[in-house]
Amino acid sequence: MSASDYALQVSDLSKSYGGKQAVDQLGFEVKRGELYALLGPNGAGKTTTLRMIAGLLGADSGSISVFGVDARADPLAAKSMIAWLPDEPMIYDKLTGWEYLEFVAGLWGVDAKTAAARAEELLKLLGLWDNRNDRCETFSRGMKQKAVLAAALIHEPKLLMLDEPLTGLDAAASRFVKDLLRRKVEDGAAVILTTHILEVAERMADRIGIIKNGKLLIEGHLSDLQARAGAAGQSLEDVFLSLVSEPEAALQPLPAPTKAPVA
Amino acid sequence: MSSLAGRPGSALWLMGAELRLYWRRGRMGPKSGLIALCVILAVWLTMTFFIFRAVGPAIPPPPLGHDPIDGLVLAGVSLTAFFIASVMVSQAILGAVEAIYTRNDLDLLLSSPLSPWTVLVVRSAAIAIGALPLYAGLLGAPVLWMAVFSSPLWFSALPALVGLAFAATGVALLIVTALFRTIGPKRTRIFAQILSALTGAALFLSIQYFNITSHQTSAMTRQQAIDGFIHLRISPDALWLTPARAMTGDIPALLMWLAACGLAFVGGVFLFSRRFVSDAAAASSMGQRKRVADTRIAVVRGGETASIVRKELRLLWRDPVLLSQIGLQLVYLIPLAIVLMRFNNSDAPGVSLQALAPALTLLSSALAGSLIWITVSAEDAPDLVASAPIAPALLERGKIMAALAPVAALMVIPLAFLIVEAPAVGGWALGGCLVSAACSALIGLWRRSPGSRRDFFRNRRQGTLMSRLGQTIVTLTLTATVGLGAYGYPWLALIPAIFAAALTGALYKPRDQRA
Repeated sequence: MSASDYALQVSDLSKSYGGKQAVDQLGFEVKRGELYALLGPNGAGKTTTLRMIAGLLGADSGSISVFGVDARADPLAAKSMIAWLPDEPMIYDKLTGWEYLEFVAGLWGVDAKTAAARAEELLKLLGLWDNRNDRCETFSRGMKQKAVLAAALIHEPKLLMLDEPLTGLDAAASRFVKDLLRRKVEDGAAVILTTHILEVAERMADRIGIIKNGKLLIEGHLSDLQARAGAAGQSLEDVFLSLVSEPEAALQPLPAPTKAPVA
Repeated sequence: MSSLAGRPGSALWLMGAELRLYWRRGRMGPKSGLIALCVILAVWLTMTFFIFRAVGPAIPPPPLGHDPIDGLVLAGVSLTAFFIASVMVSQAILGAVEAIYTRNDLDLLLSSPLSPWTVLVVRSAAIAIGALPLYAGLLGAPVLWMAVFSSPLWFSALPALVGLAFAATGVALLIVTALFRTIGPKRTRIFAQILSALTGAALFLSIQYFNITSHQTSAMTRQQAIDGFIHLRISPDALWLTPARAMTGDIPALLMWLAACGLAFVGGVFLFSRRFVSDAAAASSMGQRKRVADTRIAVVRGGETASIVRKELRLLWRDPVLLSQIGLQLVYLIPLAIVLMRFNNSDAPGVSLQALAPALTLLSSALAGSLIWITVSAEDAPDLVASAPIAPALLERGKIMAALAPVAALMVIPLAFLIVEAPAVGGWALGGCLVSAACSALIGLWRRSPGSRRDFFRNRRQGTLMSRLGQTIVTLTLTATVGLGAYGYPWLALIPAIFAAALTGALYKPRDQRA
């Protein structure tokens, strides 16, 4: 597989805060058209990793390549392909939904005509069209999440990174977001998400990476993880708890090659 | 496991928790804050010790007598108490408004088995106690040495001061409750902000009013006014002097004063608490009213810099709290500007055009400083703009343009008038406005202090102490530069100009060291 087939290549990425190693020589890859779930217990370094990829946090060492662009050397070129959605909606209460999308489109340099067409399409798709001229301060948490998602998609990112994307969404909205992410993946975009709802990762992810103390314990298809944990047929939750409590299990060799699940 | 005094869940325990939060809300770290405080107190104690060791024995022991001169002294004490009370009421209004609008932990406290009355009494008491340290620190040392070198009765000033803080809080709670009843939740916040600032500045504005209106007053009539004040023959037994008597060692007056303060506080808390839950609910549902569907489709406009400028201007325009804060800064400055403008070369009364130049410089610098802080430092979605593919310099440029646009809009007419009427003076004014706005922009950029817009409302602070002090000194020195230049002393104007340039340069911080 050539480098151009990868949406993201992270290698030897490290970051420490005040003596604490938050991310420790982390390395993983995400292919085009792949949904990758980055899992780990609280404080494992998931958000720090994603913030470094998004260019919000400088890495101490290591490399990040986004569609072949060295994100540390040319952050602007990398950022133009990325959308980053943290768990707390990044929103301006005093802007209307429409103005918010207009602003984000402007930041990513989308021309006005294209931005207007995409804003209309996304707001209709997400059920916010009738609220487009309402200020975001009047939105519920779920509506804010949707507005932020619409803003993230307005510049048609090739790499979407979502930190707990389903927080605050009702069942219908949650299903809608999951479908939307799958559609983006089918269209060739890469999606990385972190979640503590392991059923979501189990159902949606093509590959799963588990990190603890800033190190990648294991990654692969669910069946790989089950094999490593010696828990064939068990749920991701069981596998996750087993691997996190006994990290040495992740280092055991696989018993046999496994087949990739159908997405 | 509790590190706080009192039984967990008791009022004392809750008060401990409140005071701990109050202490930690300060900008300084708990340890460095304590050290700084101890040093300041030690210096103040030492200074006042030497003063009162010399003058203390000459101060007659309290209480004061019944002479008219005692009445005058008590009136002076009353004036000081009024000033302190006005600032305390101002702080307490903001505290009460914050309790309603920024609920934070109140939902947690009110959902606990603690009685709501206990929660509100403790929180209100914390507002009162929070207003005390400054005045207790300032007055504590002189009172201590007066008690040592004159009479222990002078200690009565301290409980009287505590009573004043509680009374001021009670009054503030009543004001906020009344505002909620009369003008509704939406306007209360803005109006309370304005009222708080005006209350806090009551004495300052009164003095400014006296300054402005006394323009026609000759030196002779001023002297006559002062003489008249001395001969007012204020009776020391007047009821309105009770607080002053309480502060000056009159024990019966102190007891009366404390009872009155306690009553004001309990009454204020009682009335506030009766409607607190419904008021807080009304405030929290303020933005959630059903709207008529707005079917307009606005035109989308592109451009990175233009998008940033548009967004910042929209946010500025739509935040009445911020606008009222900035408006009030101007209200404070206008009397000062008028006083400046009254400096006239000739003996003839009237506004001098030369003085308009430094006045405009002062106004534009102060306004630019506030707006720059809001646009550059107060960013509600920092991760969003940081993750966008635009250079930080472009982002900063957009924010600065948005901040300076209102300043330019406000200054253009007076500047044009000045340039037409007196071109040389107009040139100085134009230069002053441009340079002071540029310096404000640079200081705001270099010394930015990231936070949300809410921080501006809650803390009413613009950056660190260093940046605020630097900004103020640069503003004043540039005002002096323009003033000297406009009055025809360009070489003399170089001195403050060089000082302002040097100070601005000293405030520089490389990009990688900025917050």
